[in-house]
Amino acid sequence: MAKTAISIDHIARVEGHGNVHVVINDGVVENVEMNIVEPARLFESMVKGRSFKDCSYISSRICGICSPSHCLTDIKAVEAAFGVEVSERTKKLRELLVYGSYLQNHASHLFVFVVPDFVGYPSVFPLAESNPELFAQALELKRLGNDLCTKVGGRSIHPITAVVGGFTHEIKREEYLELAERMEAMIPFACETVDLFSSFRITEFQSANDMLAMVEENYYPVQSSPTLRLIEEDATFDTADYLNYLEEYEVAHSGALFTRSVKTKKPVFTSALSRINASWGNLSRQAKVMSAKAGLRPTEKNPMKNNLAQAIELVDALIRCSAICRDLAYMEGDSKPVDFEVKAGRGVGMTEAPRGVVFHDLEFDDAGRVVHASIITPTAQNLGALEADMRQLAGILAEENLDEEYIRMEIAKLVRAYDPCISCSVH
Amino acid sequence: MPYQERRRSITPRVVVVGLASCFGCQLQITNQEQYLTDVLGQIEVVYWQMTSSEPMPDSFDVAVIEGAVTNRESEETVRELREKASKIITIGACAVTAGIPGIAAKDYEDRPHEVYNTIPEACGELIAPRSVGSVIDVDYEVRCCPIDFYEFVQVLSAALYGSNHKLRTTTMCTECKQKENICFYAKGEICLGLVTVGGCQARCPSLGRPCNGCRGISPSANLESARQSVIKYGLSVDEFNEKLEMFNQTNTQFTGEEAAVEEAR
Ligand code: SF4
Ligand code: SF4
Ligand code: SF4
Repeated sequence: MAKTAISIDHIARVEGHGNVHVVINDGVVENVEMNIVEPARLFESMVKGRSFKDCSYISSRICGICSPSHCLTDIKAVEAAFGVEVSERTKKLRELLVYGSYLQNHASHLFVFVVPDFVGYPSVFPLAESNPELFAQALELKRLGNDLCTKVGGRSIHPITAVVGGFTHEIKREEYLELAERMEAMIPFACETVDLFSSFRITEFQSANDMLAMVEENYYPVQSSPTLRLIEEDATFDTADYLNYLEEYEVAHSGALFTRSVKTKKPVFTSALSRINASWGNLSRQAKVMSAKAGLRPTEKNPMKNNLAQAIELVDALIRCSAICRDLAYMEGDSKPVDFEVKAGRGVGMTEAPRGVVFHDLEFDDAGRVVHASIITPTAQNLGALEADMRQLAGILAEENLDEEYIRMEIAKLVRAYDPCISCSVH
Repeated sequence: MPYQERRRSITPRVVVVGLASCFGCQLQITNQEQYLTDVLGQIEVVYWQMTSSEPMPDSFDVAVIEGAVTNRESEETVRELREKASKIITIGACAVTAGIPGIAAKDYEDRPHEVYNTIPEACGELIAPRSVGSVIDVDYEVRCCPIDFYEFVQVLSAALYGSNHKLRTTTMCTECKQKENICFYAKGEICLGLVTVGGCQARCPSLGRPCNGCRGISPSANLESARQSVIKYGLSVDEFNEKLEMFNQTNTQFTGEEAAVEEAR
């Protein structure tokens, strides 16, 4: 086999603009690049000099697709800097907001972006015609996610009500109960989704990358814990120390900075799969049963299984959110923003966005203005890992002498398994 | 004429393009799944990079543009769209007023270096963020960050079939008072509803949060008298100005006038 150059310009069905280039020479992979061609908006420079009050409002606009996560992570950074403690009720509402985003994102990524790969359509619209029932239920699940974000945040994207210290508005008891019922009614479909994704044939391979996720004792955390874990490196650390464990670096072919482990220099993969690997034991019972049935157990190193992991998280999220909504309907206390004192200092906020761990690192002067900001998104962390896995996958397929078109398809599938959010990665 | 071809000749062909943005406005459209197929039924989306892998065609009727112009490449893209499309609709604050990306317009030259040591080639030739309307003529706008889906449908039908729908010019306060919200100024907080064009039903003040002006400044707003009110309530005019700059560059350099000058050169 001679030299093969595979280029996919504007890779479709991902969030944002990116190109892939793979060069294979005589069965050997020579070069692999994931180019991010999204125009940079320079958010870090935009929040500089601005008040803590506007900060989360601006940085939520890094990405509409996971805006609740950016908004909340930014708020948590401010709270870490000022030493703000929020109420139990606020914490529950925040968890709902994050999960609303999971339901939106996982459902649309899986059904709109990934399913066409396995049923062979260029876009989702033919699917709407060929299997309207599946499509309708998928849309209903996504709508539930949007409604959850709207009820809690005031709008399906770019939350209005979430501010430093609490929430400016809350819905009524009946609305929480209605949400709980709708979630419970969707659980069977989420379980079918797990079965559907476990039926898709994927290329088997073991990634050499490390995985990163938020961890908490006896809980499957998405926003509640300050602790992180690098699974392979076997390192557990506090968010405030993240720079001792993770480092960003520039590459010429990408507008996004890449991330790797400080110690092992291995690229890091953060995702639904990383969360399930790190907290499998803390999944709700039904989600764990579904995961085991689908053959996903820790430590699963095939990144192609990330879509399956997302499906499992749908089951888990519905179960958790219905319980939280029932709690909120009857629990005492409120979520009104608490009082706090503005002071100089640095704070790092970290949450599990749908696509993995996101950091907002903010430093304030004593008037509460941003002196320095650094934002690390899940996709920026994952780009290095994605390139490494693409290289490995292309190598395996080239060795098997598979044709160019097949390799191209498999690489596109891998990219969509990673579920990059490119608009996030270049901010 | 065979049915397929006839259908093609009468169904408006639409392209949706994203520039520097958060994708949120496009998402607002895809988020209304239940009505999406109804709306899409009357048009043919011939290019929507966010949802499909088909390439952009050479001819179409309407171009829907999201995002601000932040590099020479996107400047070229919008000019090309203007040439090919008979109607241009901009969606969202980014495209209409330069929105949040526009914050970076001030002292732009220094900014890329605050984020990168060496600016990656992939960024293209960066220019200070500007609205689409400052580069080309725009026929219709859908405002706010993010847009409202129903408003988008309204504007799209106006673009396709015409309408005598008049643009609102009153400020937000009219709608806010109808909702019987307590005014933020009475609580000692700055709210940009005072100068922002109405139409969102005072969405934020109704949820306990002051307006940040994402809909843009109202043509009937009086900025000077608004600043006087801010002083009257004992609040800071600097803070008011700073908030205003979040979605509305008052720096004319990037609001259109400058582009016209550049063009004339
Ligand atoms: S206007 Fe707002 S929601 Fe729309 S693309 Fe721009 S930042 Fe996103
Ligand atoms: S709260 Fe804002 S929008 Fe409402 S009346 Fe006061 S200034 Fe106007
Ligand atoms: S209230 Fe102001 S900030 Fe909120 S949506 Fe309306 S115009 Fe935008």
